Amino acid sequence: MSRPGRGRLLAALVLAVVLAAGGEAAVPLAHRETLPNGAVLLVAERPAIPIVVVRVSMAGGAVRDPGDGAGLANLTAELLTRGTAHRSGPELDRAIEFVGGGLDAGAGRDGVTVTLSVLKKDLPLGLDLLGEVLREPTFPAEEMTRKVADIQASLRRAEQSPDTVAGRAIGPMMFPGHPYGRPAAGTVESVGKLTRDQVVAFHRLYYRPDGASIVVVGDVTTAEIRQALLQRLGGWTAPATPLAAVPRPAISVPAQSRTITRDLSQTTVLLGRPSIRQDDPEYYPLAVATYVLGGGSASRLYTRVREEKGLAYSVYAGAQPGRYGASYIVSLQTRTDAVAEAVRLVREEMARMGREPIAAAELDLAKSFLIGSFPLRLDTSGKLAGFLGAVEDNGLGLDYPERYKERIGRVTVADVQRVAAKYLDPATFSSVMVGK
Amino acid sequence: MDLMRPSRFVSLSALVVVLLLLAVGTAAPQSAPAGPARLAVTEATLDNGLRVLVQEDPRNPIVAVQIFYRVGSRNELPGATGLAHFLEHMMFKGTPTRGRGQISRLIEQNGGRDNAFTTKDVTGYYVNIAADRLDLVLGVEADRMRNLLLDAGEIDSERQVVMEERRSRIDDDPEGVIYEAMSSLAYVAHPYRAPIIGWMADIARINRGELRAFYDTYYQPNNAILVIAGDVKADAALAMVRRHFGPIPRGATPPPMTAVEPPQADERRLVLRKEDAQLPVVNIAWHVPNYTSPDAAALEVLSTLLSEGRSSRLYRRLVYEKRMALGAGGEYSYTSLDPTLFWFYATLLPGQSPEAMEQALLAEVEQLKREPVPTEELERARNQIEAAFVWQQDSVFSRASVLGRYELLGSWRLLDDFLPKLRAVTAADLQRVAQRYFVVEHKNVSVLLPAPAAAAAGATGSR
Repeated sequence: MSRPGRGRLLAALVLAVVLAAGGEAAVPLAHRETLPNGAVLLVAERPAIPIVVVRVSMAGGAVRDPGDGAGLANLTAELLTRGTAHRSGPELDRAIEFVGGGLDAGAGRDGVTVTLSVLKKDLPLGLDLLGEVLREPTFPAEEMTRKVADIQASLRRAEQSPDTVAGRAIGPMMFPGHPYGRPAAGTVESVGKLTRDQVVAFHRLYYRPDGASIVVVGDVTTAEIRQALLQRLGGWTAPATPLAAVPRPAISVPAQSRTITRDLSQTTVLLGRPSIRQDDPEYYPLAVATYVLGGGSASRLYTRVREEKGLAYSVYAGAQPGRYGASYIVSLQTRTDAVAEAVRLVREEMARMGREPIAAAELDLAKSFLIGSFPLRLDTSGKLAGFLGAVEDNGLGLDYPERYKERIGRVTVADVQRVAAKYLDPATFSSVMVGK
Repeated sequence: MDLMRPSRFVSLSALVVVLLLLAVGTAAPQSAPAGPARLAVTEATLDNGLRVLVQEDPRNPIVAVQIFYRVGSRNELPGATGLAHFLEHMMFKGTPTRGRGQISRLIEQNGGRDNAFTTKDVTGYYVNIAADRLDLVLGVEADRMRNLLLDAGEIDSERQVVMEERRSRIDDDPEGVIYEAMSSLAYVAHPYRAPIIGWMADIARINRGELRAFYDTYYQPNNAILVIAGDVKADAALAMVRRHFGPIPRGATPPPMTAVEPPQADERRLVLRKEDAQLPVVNIAWHVPNYTSPDAAALEVLSTLLSEGRSSRLYRRLVYEKRMALGAGGEYSYTSLDPTLFWFYATLLPGQSPEAMEQALLAEVEQLKREPVPTEELERARNQIEAAFVWQQDSVFSRASVLGRYELLGSWRLLDDFLPKLRAVTAADLQRVAQRYFVVEHKNVSVLLPAPAAAAAGATGSR
């Protein structure tokens, strides 16, 4: 049936792994310890395949962008692998790619991650390069000129993607005055004004070990990887300036609406509002409500809008929990002349979630899926590394899968109706339409 | 919250399709020096012709179940394009014992995720689920192999969904439109010229009788490959397969796809203006052979050398050094069932001219013909391909996909030849295949321009 993916949009809004998780047994997912410099090391030994993933996560996400410098975190991350004290950007590329590995940095809303993917036999080289880019990047001016132009061109190219256009528009409506509302990659104008000094200062302040996590998954032992990391990152210490706290966005903001005219055959509709984080007890009933409303192919939105009416290929609802706040998005694309009907159906289904109790069978299905599908989230080294990083960075604890399973299991029909009335009321959602 | 995004598989964006094919071209033969031995495969052919492959992998308590039907858009006729993909949608709309949407509901109820994809060559259905639910999944797949309802009302409702899918993937995506147009330009006789999703008029017209006939022709046990990879025991899994699929009778052998693309006489070109496009795109696609040719391994290495990573040749030259492109590469579909295209592509930076970009791409081609590639570049490409083989083994989903893909080509054992063939490729081979295939008689050029459409012909391109 080719259900559409929805990752790009969600990732664009709030970069966070959605932790719908259950858990099989209370076997720890990983070894966890705090290194002398304050970074937390998590290791999951998976010896069967000779590969290793190392994922380092630090504070330098877009929430740290200065008010007039949207895109600084993104630019800094993009430049991290463009030159070190020992190698130029092309030399770094050649070194890691010659062994079929990868070394990439990327900034999200909440933080920045640097990921090394390498065959076990090339781990020492990979760690050398990782240590260099983390600690001794040089941010060459010439590379910065290139990267700024590339980012500007990418931003321009994204204007041909209605999803991206809508996502950028709804951000500031959901998070007015908060960094979450600003475009993570910046704008053509804001990126053009960034200076190399800003990049250097941003790196110095936010690529720091305190509050960082280092997740290692693959064919290693904890002892060997600890030693290998300390050897390269031993002198990495936190700057004296403490990390500033990031304010929490408001959970309730006035709903607004906006239409962006584009000559397209479909209209893309986004409804969005701020929502709750994973450490909120109401997150669990909301996860169940989300699955029932628009989380899968058994959901009400999928059934009514797609299967019964044929109004959309893509329709879904979902929460994007982040470290400092969360957003909730309902999205669909439909032909221009069907927009009014489709949006009316979607709003009615959202309202019904809070007006009427869901059926017992719906509750059971949601619980079975949310708990039962957990192992599928951890079945590759890359997925496991992402999950462990998100659990650590969002302060959820390694017992999160067990807790999640237990909390989801306890959700009642009344819980679902209560949180739906609170967080799914369509009157509280801002809306963006991109189309004719 | 679907982790898998298989819907990409029907996307007609050049990159996505080719990357898929590249992805399934990677697997783990026993001889990979850096990797472990390939896990054992147990194979069987049921009396009704169903091919079954089982790979035991106890690392995670899950199983990937994938069923491939030997049918894709290449089996369609003009006037009825999109049938394979439309039917794929209908496979979720019910059987006499499982109503519309019930199959996915049942899978989700058991903690699984399911989806499907259609390509030019094959239609695949897959489920990732807890390993102890294998029996349930096999029951579902056996049921819909022969018992599909194809209800008229459901067909009409799903028709609207497919049309919406076409609007998002192609009509409202300039790069989707140029990919579609290029395929129609490069092929004149072979069905690869039509989009996988079909032309809009065909989607709007296809009737129940055609869907039924297509289903009865191609959804037969003797036209299917079932792959099971994960935490299962091969004997037990095969016993389950026999119980569910054994009673299904063998069907008639589907007719062969007989179209052969005639040799191209001269260069073909098209220009497409799209107002919603932001940056120009230049594509040059050459007709090349598929995996059956002795030249295929060299083309595969060439594609990696040109495209893979920031040290790849086209990125380094066109993106990094000349500052002409935002992205550039060269892609090849090694495992294509029929002869295919080798694409050079570039998305331009603002202010750059498509004419200059075409010349720059052609200059790269000429250099490949003129000079042997340096050893370091060739070594890097080989190492990248070999590493991808090892990485691919980390996922039971990928393992199952690769086994299925190679079985589709004739035998999963072809996988064992892949790496040795690639390792044997020399710089002289690369030079030779460039000289042989990157010639004017094989050449197709398409240019996407961000501009008001000359006519409102965008959606159907050059047809």
